[in-house]
Amino acid sequence: MNKIKLALPSKGRLKEDSLKFFQSKNLKVINAFGERNYFFNIKNNNQIEGTYLHAKEIIERLNDGTLDMGISGLDLLKEFPEIYSKNVKIFQKLDFGFADLVVAVPKDWLDVQNMADLEEVSFEFKEKYGRRMRVATKYPNLTESFFLSKGVSQFRIMPSLGATESYPFTGSAELITDITSTGSTLKANNLRVITDGCILKSSACLFVSKKFLNNKFLKHFK
Amino acid sequence: MKKGLEKKKLKEDFSKKILQFFKTRKFNFTDLDLLIDTSLLTERSGEQFKKSTLTYRDLLGKEVSLRPDLTVSTALKYIQEKKTKEERFCYYGTAYRLNKKGDLKVFDQLGCELINSLNKNASLILLETILEPIKKINKLEVSIGDMGLFKILVESLDLPDRWKLRLVRHFSRKEYFSDLLKRLETNYDLDQHTIDVDTERLKDLIAIDQSKVIGGRTVAEIVRRFKKKLKDPRDDYKGKSNVKIIKDFLKINVPLLEAERVIINFFDKNRLPVKNIQSYLKKIIFINQGIGKKYSITFKTDFGRNTEYYTGLVFLAYIKKKNQMIELASGGEYNNLLKTLGYKKNIPSLGGAINLNQLINL
Repeated sequence: MNKIKLALPSKGRLKEDSLKFFQSKNLKVINAFGERNYFFNIKNNNQIEGTYLHAKEIIERLNDGTLDMGISGLDLLKEFPEIYSKNVKIFQKLDFGFADLVVAVPKDWLDVQNMADLEEVSFEFKEKYGRRMRVATKYPNLTESFFLSKGVSQFRIMPSLGATESYPFTGSAELITDITSTGSTLKANNLRVITDGCILKSSACLFVSKKFLNNKFLKHFK
Repeated sequence: MKKGLEKKKLKEDFSKKILQFFKTRKFNFTDLDLLIDTSLLTERSGEQFKKSTLTYRDLLGKEVSLRPDLTVSTALKYIQEKKTKEERFCYYGTAYRLNKKGDLKVFDQLGCELINSLNKNASLILLETILEPIKKINKLEVSIGDMGLFKILVESLDLPDRWKLRLVRHFSRKEYFSDLLKRLETNYDLDQHTIDVDTERLKDLIAIDQSKVIGGRTVAEIVRRFKKKLKDPRDDYKGKSNVKIIKDFLKINVPLLEAERVIINFFDKNRLPVKNIQSYLKKIIFINQGIGKKYSITFKTDFGRNTEYYTGLVFLAYIKKKNQMIELASGGEYNNLLKTLGYKKNIPSLGGAINLNQLINL
């Protein structure tokens, strides 16, 4: 019988909370090959072949069918092209990993309260400076769809790999979108969230590949 | 449905004849570039444009796209060749676009572009030239709209300037436009609580160097706009009555012959100034006088909103076959396009193209 291929996030808070979640379902994760090894088993269960992977990688592997189930963030699935949501199914939204993807502008932009203001300012900016406003983000697809749905079309995406909050103050972008759970990092970097600028409310999810959706093993999580 | 060689031969025959005809109308054949610098397209239409174009990065890291339409290519040609006077171009070529699923769609087009023309009959000249080669097609119908009319309507409404700008800017984006109307109807625009908090903070901002740049904008710019916003009326937009006027206007759908009378009556009935609209409607009157009797033409105020760069007249020639609309030719005025592509100013321009793929299947 083919083993069930499961992946959990390889580091950080998401990893810790995922392990606790599995334990709460009487599925204790054992690192049989050592703490630094990327493979794991489940105690008293031979069905599972476990791997620790980057949260983004988990979505990729569920999509190409080389994984059956895994824990990752909803934001990561939604950032991939729509076709991924056809192959990767949300089996359960989990009670951890909460974070919002939001639009943030320099806190001194007093005249920009909402997306309607941003729409207006973006046109004025283009008119005045002859170029589009740049939005630094790790989420180009979600950002683009959200901006367009709010009528903001005069922008340019600046892909960012990290420390996105610094972009508006280094001349690399005018505003940002980023994931935040408490908003404190944004505040600490002199940014404020636009009132109707919540792009996505995300949390950790138990994802399964489409073909695995009816597998009996999932009864553990009901 | 015709196939292979038969299709190819038909295309060759049609294109030869039609280009010959375009020449008799003083449109000069031009070869257009197949590839377009993607940054020109994204700078004009935004990042979303990339989703509908076949784009790749060359060895130097520059993004280039297969031309998504031939109007943009012709406009670029005008700019590259440093033209300054009226030019009449005609072309035969293929445009490449991706549909929503990401599948490549290929369009063979035969078209004409009339750039920088001050001729008051330019719209009529263009329409006549594009429609003539397909005039014998049984049950051919033509729809006409005009983006400029909507602009005049909005400018004559009692609304804050920023609302007028918003409505005109987003007229081509139907879904967002209806959201805008809902917001206008409910007067939802500003959050008074945040305004109060920020008004307090305004003092700090006024006290610092006004030329200081914060997130790409100067403090002076931010202060000026904030003050302007505070002064804007908020509760007396006459939102509902203005939205009703806009919605009623967009329902106008009449034979071209009646367009002038119906539109003037509409402005009169809603107590809007008629002067500007009367002068603008001359263009419609010329078209009616020139080809009104030759074709079955309908004027619709809601028509032609799907192409962002059209600024004035928009048209579509089609036939209906088994409840399906077969689009045979289309085009319109694009007075702002050249400037957004790098020309020094806005110039009156218009163009249209015959859809060869549909024509050969009739």
